[in-house]
Amino acid sequence: MDPYSAEGELINIHNHFHQGQYTEVVDFDVSSLSAENALPARVLQLRARIALGQAEDVLADVQGEKEPELEAVSALAEQALGNNDKAVEIVESLAQSAGDNATVQILGGTVLAAAGKSEDALALLGKHEGSLDAVALIVQIHLQNNRNDLALKAVTEARRWAQDSLLVNLAESWVGLRLGGERYQQAFYVFEELAQAPATSSVRTLVSQAVAELHLGRTEEAQAALDQALKKDPGYTEAIANLLVLNVITGSKTQQELTSSLVQANPEHPLLTDLNEKSELFDKAASKYSAKVSA
Amino acid sequence: MQASSGMLTKFESKSSRAKGIAFHPKRPWILVSLHSSTIQLWDYRMGTLIDRFEEHDGPVRGVDFHKTQPLFVSGGDDYKIKVWSYQTRRCLFTLNGHLDYIRTVFFHHELPWIVSASDDQTIRIWNWQNRSLLCTMTGHNHYAMCAQFHPKEDLVVSASLDQSVRVWDISGLRKKHSAPTSMSFEDQVNRANQNQTDMFGNTDAVVKFVLEGHDRGVNWVAFHPTMPLIVSAGDDRLIKLWRMSETKAWEVDTCRGHFANASGCLFHPHQDLILSAGEDKTIRVWDLNKRTAVHTFKRENDRFWVIAAHPEINLFAAGHDNGVMVFKLERERPASTVYQNQLFYITKEKHVKSYDFQKNVESPTLLSLKKLGSPWVPPRTLSYNPSERAVLVTTPADGGSYELINLPREGSGATDATDSRRGQGNSAIFVARNRFAVLNTSSQTVDIKDLQNNTTRSFKPPVGTSDIYFGGTGNLLIITPTAVHLYDIQQKKTTAELAVNGVKYVVWSNDGLYAALLSKHNVTIVSKTLEQISTLHETIRIKSATWDDAGVLLYSTLNHVKYTLLNGDNGIVRTLDQTVYLVRVKGRNVYCLDRSAKPKILQIDPTEYRFKLALVKRNYEEMLHIIQNSSLVGQSIIAYLQKKGYPEIALQFVQDPTTRFELAIECGNLEVAVEMAKQLDRPKLWTRLSTEALAHGNHSIVEMCYQKLKNFDKLSFLYLTTGDEAKLSRMAKIAEHRGDFTSRFQNALYLGEVEDRIQMFKEIDLYPLAYMTAKSHGLEEECQSILEATGLTEDQLNLPTFGEPLAPPKPVVPTFKANWPTKATSQSVFEKALLGQMEGLSLEDETAVNGAGEEAEEATMGDALIEGDEDEDAAGWDMGEDIVPEAEEGFVNVETADTGGAGSSEADLWARNSPLAVDHVAGGSFETAMQLLNRQVGAVNFVPLKPRFLEVYQASKTYLPASAGLPPLINYVRRTVEESDPRKVLPIIPRDLEHLASNDLQLGYKLMKENNLKDGLPVFRNILHSVLINAVGSDSEVAEAKKLINSAAEYTLAMSIELQRRSLDPSELQRTLELAAYFTIPKIQVPHRQLALLNAMNLSMRNKNYNTALSFANRILANGGSPKILETARRAKTQCERNPNDAVEIEFDQFAEFEVCAASFTPIYSGTAYEECAFDGSKYHTKYKGTVCTVCQVCEVGKHGSGLKLFG
Repeated sequence: MDPYSAEGELINIHNHFHQGQYTEVVDFDVSSLSAENALPARVLQLRARIALGQAEDVLADVQGEKEPELEAVSALAEQALGNNDKAVEIVESLAQSAGDNATVQILGGTVLAAAGKSEDALALLGKHEGSLDAVALIVQIHLQNNRNDLALKAVTEARRWAQDSLLVNLAESWVGLRLGGERYQQAFYVFEELAQAPATSSVRTLVSQAVAELHLGRTEEAQAALDQALKKDPGYTEAIANLLVLNVITGSKTQQELTSSLVQANPEHPLLTDLNEKSELFDKAASKYSAKVSA
Repeated sequence: MQASSGMLTKFESKSSRAKGIAFHPKRPWILVSLHSSTIQLWDYRMGTLIDRFEEHDGPVRGVDFHKTQPLFVSGGDDYKIKVWSYQTRRCLFTLNGHLDYIRTVFFHHELPWIVSASDDQTIRIWNWQNRSLLCTMTGHNHYAMCAQFHPKEDLVVSASLDQSVRVWDISGLRKKHSAPTSMSFEDQVNRANQNQTDMFGNTDAVVKFVLEGHDRGVNWVAFHPTMPLIVSAGDDRLIKLWRMSETKAWEVDTCRGHFANASGCLFHPHQDLILSAGEDKTIRVWDLNKRTAVHTFKRENDRFWVIAAHPEINLFAAGHDNGVMVFKLERERPASTVYQNQLFYITKEKHVKSYDFQKNVESPTLLSLKKLGSPWVPPRTLSYNPSERAVLVTTPADGGSYELINLPREGSGATDATDSRRGQGNSAIFVARNRFAVLNTSSQTVDIKDLQNNTTRSFKPPVGTSDIYFGGTGNLLIITPTAVHLYDIQQKKTTAELAVNGVKYVVWSNDGLYAALLSKHNVTIVSKTLEQISTLHETIRIKSATWDDAGVLLYSTLNHVKYTLLNGDNGIVRTLDQTVYLVRVKGRNVYCLDRSAKPKILQIDPTEYRFKLALVKRNYEEMLHIIQNSSLVGQSIIAYLQKKGYPEIALQFVQDPTTRFELAIECGNLEVAVEMAKQLDRPKLWTRLSTEALAHGNHSIVEMCYQKLKNFDKLSFLYLTTGDEAKLSRMAKIAEHRGDFTSRFQNALYLGEVEDRIQMFKEIDLYPLAYMTAKSHGLEEECQSILEATGLTEDQLNLPTFGEPLAPPKPVVPTFKANWPTKATSQSVFEKALLGQMEGLSLEDETAVNGAGEEAEEATMGDALIEGDEDEDAAGWDMGEDIVPEAEEGFVNVETADTGGAGSSEADLWARNSPLAVDHVAGGSFETAMQLLNRQVGAVNFVPLKPRFLEVYQASKTYLPASAGLPPLINYVRRTVEESDPRKVLPIIPRDLEHLASNDLQLGYKLMKENNLKDGLPVFRNILHSVLINAVGSDSEVAEAKKLINSAAEYTLAMSIELQRRSLDPSELQRTLELAAYFTIPKIQVPHRQLALLNAMNLSMRNKNYNTALSFANRILANGGSPKILETARRAKTQCERNPNDAVEIEFDQFAEFEVCAASFTPIYSGTAYEECAFDGSKYHTKYKGTVCTVCQVCEVGKHGSGLKLFG
């Protein structure tokens, strides 16, 4: 039986992970799990710790372990620590030796996609056999590549065989936020349901809800959700980034402070890099024009 | 057939065997006659025994209430019929005549008659007014078990152990005994004859039909209330239905089912049902038309002896071996649910309807549920899903089932549900937009199902689960008989549990933070995490509840609407004359459904609970508002406030001086206390006040109290302690005047006045003391004079040794001048709020005035804007599409491409979809954006636009956190929220036209008014830049945008001129005056122009340019407005008119029409050639052609483009 299915042992820890409740994942009591589920649970906990910023500890933890799953975790940890090349290297060799392993596919796919090798990532993830994690990643990679059509296809397919799964709902909502129209509201429902139930609420789901509200043009509600998220975790980059965007939209003036806290949280955030890029582009483009007569 | 379904027991009593039952037609009363000779009168609603009547000897079998009079009749095994008054609580009289046990007694519905059936085989009719026997009906040849009048016609039906049912015609009897109004002789003879024939006992009441069919004795018989039908119950265990016509009667059918003697039966007063009760311990319900069993209710141990129906409401009663039970056959609570402003409910006809609270209209039937469940069982619950517009209906029929049906978009009469999904279950509710939960109590499972009715998950709820309710997103509230569980569907576990007994309904507050758990007699309020907030108990049944928007719970009991606050404070809102089910409260209206499922509106006065709520929340403004605007008085609220520890607030309500005084003392408000004490002027009050004031340290009030009380001693001591010597000596004088020596002595002592004391002692002939005093203070002369006066010498005296003479200490601080630091809190928060509110009110007034002013300004501004040139070349607006890159091809490519590779982002599409610069900016295509702006308005200097570019760019992207380990997904925010066609989507624009007009522009005005031009200038420029990179929704908005541009440009120019002037050296007098004059030229708002004019006028005056100043003064006066400015202008005008000459010559012709060159700040006279900025319209001398516009700082002067495009 699929351990992640509704009746499986790992459903709760797995859901916690994908709802962004990493602390709950780490604190999850794994002692009662059956033997075959112990490793997947451990992988989830290690991933959660990486997400919580404990990549170094995780790396030490899996040092010398030979299971491909744990090696894949080490690659993820390396990448989190900034050692991109090393991570890619590990993943590429794992892809050769243990490309059929679901964990290797998922973690490898993540590493490759994050390293910008989306085609390699898709190739590796394409080998999956009914893993929703892989589907979610594939959907996200397609969206990152602006291949909304392929993302939609992937998610519609997955819905056929795993319709009530959390991941399918999430992935569908990601696509929905890209496609817009009526799908905004549907995506909002999914995120709101997660964000507002105490058992599933996390900073991530709150921010997702806020983003959906923002797209729906409900700025006040988005503000409320973001405030809620920042109350939970004042350093959460996506919350800050989206609040910045929201403030621009509403024309509020408190940008300086937010920008600096975003720089502090993650100087590499796409918002900042993108903005710098555009700033340069602007200067370059503007320099082509000048008045006939200088005053 | 499940015994549990449908039977709703409302009341049960314990007693010996109950043989007779009667409902009171109006009051919630039931009479029960017992085998033990007692007759009980119960209030079945409250469950209380009202009275007992014990005059019969032996079992009482028959009992009946009179329909209108406060009377009842009983008949027993003592052969006696007794008529009682329940008001005077005694037996009025006894009718004797029967020769054996009396089985039943009934009043006639209009005549003063009683019919009785007896074991003496007769049926007798009595007149209870003249207490006589009217008629004895013989014919039965065994015990007559039951006899009843027909409700309308002159018929009696009787049942007997002789196995027959007889119908008797009593029209003869009525004729004979109806009031003899005008009787002819014949009639009288006739009547006499009739009387005579009466002797044979045949004409008054004749047997009309004899119904034979039972093959054992018949115990009970009853007429149908409207149809010519009869039902009978017999020892042959059968219930028989009979029909009669004018001439004959026949058996229609038999209901078989009882397996012991059937003791009673009747027709349902409103529905086509028969009810019967039997010694087999069952009550059975039969379909009148099909004669099939509908329900069977079984009792464990007790045989049923009698059954009765309430004539009006849906209630029945049955008597058994150990008492009586009052029950209903079905729930009368209409299934309903509220979503936002709509109530959805199911009518008695099983139609789903909706009701709009705001419009107060009922919809036509949305859906008919005729086919749902059994025809006799109404649906129990209704759950509504707004996103799918679907309803979920449950019914207890067939062991519980649910049905999921989509509502049609519009009600179109009774449409039967076509597309429905159904299944077994006792409760079904929506738990999410696409999920619902179904509880099956027999298998104790909860299934979560999707809208296709497929089970997506399933779990075992806690043991004994009886019901489920929505528990907030992702949660269920699971009800067991002793507890409520908050159950997380996702994690499949109980996250919280609260022990509450017998919860029946759950009502969520509108904000979803609180829920009220209703059980039979309790309301428990819990938070959304199932923490108990408060609980309250009612002695009578709680029927329903709904939340006020402010968080007050209104609930209905059988006869009241009440409220409770979260803290458990509760009270009555109004009384009810019939049971209703509350669904919504809004302001003074309470919306509810009555038992016939009709929406109703009840008016309530929410003042009391709003006030209490405000009190709890310490919302003083609200309280103040309530105090000022409503008649919230009365002892109860004062007592409440006092009890809750708010005497200072209670003080605000009370007029009565005594109460006010008490309250003031209690809350330490001395000022009020003094005021009241003065008004009442009673010694007791002054005493209390003095004590209180002393405790506060407020000695001036203490002084006043003592004065009022003429309490001289205390007063003196007070003066001593406060060091007020002047008053102390006055006290001494008063004492002297009063001749009160003790007091005088005391005061002298306080004052340290030895002479006075000696003098006093001498006056009262206490020479020894006088001498001693003098001696101890060393006043030898005085001593001598005393000795002389007494004729003694010093030697004769035997003196004790003296210590140091005592002198009272001198005051160090003049305490009496001011009070000691007084006890704080004399002013409550509330009073402060009151004061604050007063200030606030006046402030508000001011702002209101300001607001009005602003409005006026706006109006003038609007006018000014309208005045603004509209001669802009409109044709230019349609051009500039040539730069739009060919979007189609690339786009189609993306759609058809099938395999890997990156596509183009939505941001790229924007540039393709739109000819507006702003959409290109949002898409990050800055180069094309600049190209567009350059062509449209000749923009060349883009640097000032950079913040706006980046702002627009930044606004359109959100960052959605997705998979762990990957960067966030970038999504694109649209202003076309509804649109999903990628060819039509467009980005959101921050600070759109409306935002600029209502925020930035107002800020600019404010800065102008505050004379903060340095900060104001960038604001207006920023407006120009923001409009330049913007988009609007329609052509009319394009015009508005143009007005905004013009206005911002004028202000920019005006402020630039004035700032230039201020930067000038004072020596450049001519230029200073010129610039001040030019400052008055730009078309800024009139109040602002007044400021400019005032400024120019004052400057000119100071520099003796009276002529120019005069022109300014005239313009100010012509503009009107603020009286202060006008006054100044008027004065200036008078002064100038005395000497209308200019000392300094400036280039400013007050009569010429000109505009100001924005670069040089010199006049461009009308008629001369000029260049202008294609964007903002600012004017320049021709020599500035080709330079950058100084107003917008972006465009090239004189470069005419195709015109700014803001609307695609």
